[in-house]
Amino acid sequence: MKIFFAFIITIFLVLGGYHLTFRRLKMPLFARGFYLTGIEFLFLGLLLGPHFLNIINNETVEELAPLTILLLGWIGLLFGFQFEIPKLKRISGKFFTAAAVESVLTFGMVFTGTMYVLPVIGTIPDGIITTTALIMGAAAASTAQTGLALRKPDSFPEHRKTLKLLRYISSIDGLTGILILGFTFLSRDSISNYSLTISERIAGFLIPIFACTGFMILYLLFLIRRKQESELSLVVIGMAIFTSGAAMILNFSPLFANFLLGVCIVNLTRDKERIFNLLVSVEKPVYLLLLIFLGCMLQPPEPWMLLAAALFFLFRTMGKMSGGYIVTCLQKKETRLKPYLGYGLLEQGGLPFAILYDFYQGFPGKTAGQIISIVIISIIFNDFISPIMLNRLLKGRES
Amino acid sequence: MNPPSQKTKNIFPYLLSLVIISCIAIWLLRLESRSGWHHAGLINLSLGFVLLTAHFSAQVLKAFRLPLISGYIITGILAGPYVSNLLSFEMVDQLRLADSLALSFIALTAGGSLHLASLKTRFRTILLTISFLTFFVFGFIFLFVSILGRHFSLFSDLPTTHITVLAILLGIIAIARSPSSAIAIIKESRAKGTFTETVLGVTVVMDVLIILFFTFAITISKAMMLEGAAIDLRLFSALFIEITASIATGAILGKLIAFYIERAGQDILLFLLFIAFGVTRISLWFSGYMAGTFNIYLHLEPLLICMSAGFFVQNFSRSGSAFMENLDRMALPIFVLFFSLAGASLNLHSLMICWPFAICIILVRIIGIFAGTFLAGKISHDPPAYCRNSWMAYLTQAGVAIGLAQLAGFQFPEIGGRLITVVLAVIAINQLIGPITFKIVLNLVGESDRS
Repeated sequence: MKIFFAFIITIFLVLGGYHLTFRRLKMPLFARGFYLTGIEFLFLGLLLGPHFLNIINNETVEELAPLTILLLGWIGLLFGFQFEIPKLKRISGKFFTAAAVESVLTFGMVFTGTMYVLPVIGTIPDGIITTTALIMGAAAASTAQTGLALRKPDSFPEHRKTLKLLRYISSIDGLTGILILGFTFLSRDSISNYSLTISERIAGFLIPIFACTGFMILYLLFLIRRKQESELSLVVIGMAIFTSGAAMILNFSPLFANFLLGVCIVNLTRDKERIFNLLVSVEKPVYLLLLIFLGCMLQPPEPWMLLAAALFFLFRTMGKMSGGYIVTCLQKKETRLKPYLGYGLLEQGGLPFAILYDFYQGFPGKTAGQIISIVIISIIFNDFISPIMLNRLLKGRES
Repeated sequence: MNPPSQKTKNIFPYLLSLVIISCIAIWLLRLESRSGWHHAGLINLSLGFVLLTAHFSAQVLKAFRLPLISGYIITGILAGPYVSNLLSFEMVDQLRLADSLALSFIALTAGGSLHLASLKTRFRTILLTISFLTFFVFGFIFLFVSILGRHFSLFSDLPTTHITVLAILLGIIAIARSPSSAIAIIKESRAKGTFTETVLGVTVVMDVLIILFFTFAITISKAMMLEGAAIDLRLFSALFIEITASIATGAILGKLIAFYIERAGQDILLFLLFIAFGVTRISLWFSGYMAGTFNIYLHLEPLLICMSAGFFVQNFSRSGSAFMENLDRMALPIFVLFFSLAGASLNLHSLMICWPFAICIILVRIIGIFAGTFLAGKISHDPPAYCRNSWMAYLTQAGVAIGLAQLAGFQFPEIGGRLITVVLAVIAINQLIGPITFKIVLNLVGESDRS
């Protein structure tokens, strides 16, 4: 029976191909937003997972570990490719400040709220509460671009600056989330094991960092010569899997390690365009497969989880709204933006899914499944709410 | 030709990369494994390591004119459980999923590489080569094992009947070829021409026929080994149905692939990868389902399905070139993965046990192949270079032969262990020398891109 999952995945991949092929199909804006985020694949994963059809059970996921880790590595590499320094230099500093302010504030809100509220309402073990709060904060910090992508600046001439600012913020603010994820993995021993000495704690931090530096040098050596496309794809796949494996052995995050690798490649190699094209060519299917696997890990929601999801949504919305407000205050001298800029920053998805999957791989167990479910319930709710909020923001004039 | 200094300059980055990555991998693999997370990390690290080092080793060997797949296989052997144990038995086993995916993908490529038009023109030669190869290889091996088998310590205690059955089975298994190796070498050499088409045609058709021959051999052997057993002709009708069903399924799949390419035209590679994966898994499930539910033992052969699908896309649709173009894009990672895992799976222990007998079998097989191809070439009026050298194209053996040996071993436990040991030892050597000779012959007949 389990073998059937391959068949179903194939069918859905075909549907995915169909979905990609006929993406110009006109649908209502609301439906398009939902469809583009690929949430339906989360439900598919849930259906295939151990709670329903049991086609993708833990054993199967273990068997497919190289594939799933490659997916994480792929997303990490792609995200790292967004941080090409010459291109970043062209972006005004105020955008960085805005992204940093709103994402750090959101992280702070969610982290603090989770740290204090979750142990009261839920059944999270003490040893993992800090890690959980960090991961939930990391997942909350980033903003998805789906809704923004559907709104062309030309269609909203009176909101061009707002849309531009939102686009920049949402493409950069994931950095906060991924850095926190890296920190969480680096400090996992320090947080959970109080008996470690200071030197052991420092070593726990330094070894992965030195190892990553070693990998960077090695990979630059790999890419020193121009390669054919097939050779390049082999080297990129090999690097992503090797880095992920090394990261896991060193108690580190594969997503974060590959993100660093992506940053390094995009800034130091000549083949960056070709590698980027290679990565982008399968970006959508990689993302959809990740959603299927993530869906398998969802836990049936218990009442406390629904409450936790509502609180997570509330803390995140508060963080985004207050972050947005501070950003508008900071930008006041140049542009008068609407104070509720945070309406445009509510959408979630993309990177947070990868962060959650990485968390589940690194800290497997029921609690991780529950945390994933809490955040995903909130994300699904967000997907319904955020287009409405964005439309409210884009009503009227910006200044 | 590159001067030595240029050659050194070309391979230096690869050598340096090999040294650094090996040091890093050895250091990481020595770290204490503390959890399931670490264990999963080990598998990923080993897989990534093998992919990268196999590629780099192959590039280094390429400078010495050795085929790339020899590099992949050698890396697999070195990283495998018999040498460094970087890839343990358990890891090799866990990577079987990737392995079967790669094999289906290669089968799609093999089918897609067959052009009906040129097969028609070479039909007579292909038929003759298959007939003579089967006759001489089987005949020589059978005679050698029957007459001299008991002089080897491995078989000295076996009764005559067992020796005869062993001779029949070894003779049949010796006919098997490795389509995957043939495809890999042809792709690497970018070989084109009548010789290449003939070799590919013989290899693919042989892959179908070997199943028939093997079933026949098993039936005969059973009649000899078990008292009162008779030849069951129903087996052949079942086999005929299986082969026909596999080819028909492949044809339908080929139509589906062509339809997707024509209509969607996007993410073709991904679609093909998942088709390859799906075929392997679904055919396995189907066999189990038919046996469990209807008590019908119908085994769909995934390799045959994929070959047939590739053949139909190439020859009966307008999507052949797009299909092959997309397969080519992924060919390198697939070949590296498949052959390095094949290298890691080569049983060196068996080779250590029975290397004298294995070498004799290999030599006799070579003589049989030479006789068969020479005669077929002469009758078909092939150029003298073809007749003299084409034996070199038929040496490689891999998964099919191992599978047959395991099936035979299961059927005849009295001789199964020894049969498998010998076959694994023979394959270990053939898989190392076969690709090299194949590459040489493609150069000799002037059909590789070098020539």
